[in-house]
Amino acid sequence: MPQPIPILEIKDLNVSRNSEQVIEQANFTVEQGDYVGVVGPNGGGKTTLLSVILNLLPYSSGSIRLFGEDIARFAAWEKIAYISQHATSFESSFPLTVRELVSLGCIRKGNIGRRFMREDWKAVDDSIDFMGLTDVADRRIGQLSGGQKQRVFVAKALARNPELIFLDEPIVGVDSDAQERFYKKLSDLNTERKTTILIVTHDLTSVFCRMSKVLCVNKRVEVAQITEGLDADRLLKRAYGEHFHFVFHKHECTGVFSHER
Amino acid sequence: MNVQEFSAMSVNLFDLFGYQFFQYALLGGVIVAVACAIIGLFLILKKEAMIGDGLAHTAFGGVAVGLLLGVHPLLTALGVSVLAVFAISYMRRKKIAASDSAIAVMLALGFSTGLIVISLAGGFNVELFSYLFGSILTIDIVDLLLVSFLGLAVLLFVAFFRRELLSMVFDEDDSRIMGIPTKGLSIAFDLLVAVTIVLSIKVIGTILVVALLVLPGLCALKLNLSFRKTLFAAVGFSVLSTVLGILFSALFDIALAVDIATSGLIVFVLVMFFLLTLVYKKIG
Repeated sequence: MPQPIPILEIKDLNVSRNSEQVIEQANFTVEQGDYVGVVGPNGGGKTTLLSVILNLLPYSSGSIRLFGEDIARFAAWEKIAYISQHATSFESSFPLTVRELVSLGCIRKGNIGRRFMREDWKAVDDSIDFMGLTDVADRRIGQLSGGQKQRVFVAKALARNPELIFLDEPIVGVDSDAQERFYKKLSDLNTERKTTILIVTHDLTSVFCRMSKVLCVNKRVEVAQITEGLDADRLLKRAYGEHFHFVFHKHECTGVFSHER
Repeated sequence: MNVQEFSAMSVNLFDLFGYQFFQYALLGGVIVAVACAIIGLFLILKKEAMIGDGLAHTAFGGVAVGLLLGVHPLLTALGVSVLAVFAISYMRRKKIAASDSAIAVMLALGFSTGLIVISLAGGFNVELFSYLFGSILTIDIVDLLLVSFLGLAVLLFVAFFRRELLSMVFDEDDSRIMGIPTKGLSIAFDLLVAVTIVLSIKVIGTILVVALLVLPGLCALKLNLSFRKTLFAAVGFSVLSTVLGILFSALFDIALAVDIATSGLIVFVLVMFFLLTLVYKKIG
């Protein structure tokens, strides 16, 4: 069996903000092809953890390695795409069409200030097609439904063919049907393109049914492979508190998404 | 023949295009209109439209210093505006003051400096007035060359970096992760804002610069177009208003012998366009 390739390695990571410890002694690894759900109570440090990994916030001690490189020296940011919590809350009057927004995803270090090549435009159209947005490609992004908006931002991320995608609570304010279609698309992306995905979410059912790993964050970070025998309830109790109760049977996932399309 | 000599004569509108001062005015006006519309649209999308007003008023201090020292006032205005835009950016970054407060501080500082310098120089004069309210029909070849050079710098920068700018305006964090040098791009954009404002002073004056920056973009945004088309529409509104403003000003002069400030007419046409786009949005 081939050795899994670590894409993200976190060792003894401590993060403080305003002299308060937010992340304490975090240790985990994300491997190529992983589909990781990041869960935990509000204020538990999920977004902070993501921001530190993306070099948007500093950390106090420990180490972060991306694609085998220490974050301080890491330069291949074009391998990474990030969809923030606020991505879909742009002004509805912002003058961008779906195709224009997705095309912004093709900007990378090597082509700053240069014309896009034919391959770039092909990547744009392929991403729009993959996310099922061809019909609305020329529509303004402010005119899209909540579900379509999320898919546009994933399409934008896909346009430069990233190896790792971070998504921070992308399903807020969207109906359950659109949520399920969104997770289905992410699953396709993970299986068909082998893209590693790390998603912050509160949708525990989707995490345990669709994803390969779960990261529970509440100051301390616990990681678990999602398998048939996983005691999800015990794991989540440590993050959410003893009052929390979650029953999960992996075999019951079949049928949960019966109306997928 | 300059504009003063011209006013004493009676000519028809078409003859106007044969006069050098009129050609300079139209050419300078169009260059400034294009630069303002483009930079203004990005400012609106960044929600920083008022920086235009702040910098224009600050530039007034620079104009006064230039007049006092006998240096071309647009050059001193450029120096002062560049300093002001960096000061605003510094205050914002170091959280000394929020954007609007930082703009207010620089506006007050620049304008008061201007007043002190004017007092020292012995009071207001006609030339200073032309920078306050614009004096497009008195543009000379030096002004025109300066405006063309600065206008070209704006156009080239936006032609090369429009996507990166748009990405940064839309989502700065994401742009940084994508490898866009957001810090450098922000500094370059701030410089362009200062340059655009200074080159607009001669056309529309420091008081009304903000209109030429903001109104074309606002009109275009009401049409619900793609970014590319919005940019072209903003340039269209801006150029059309400027040309019409200049023509109306000349027309009033010829037909009615009434001297109306061209900058006032340009802004008036822009406001009319804005009202029309509002109606279009309401019924469309």
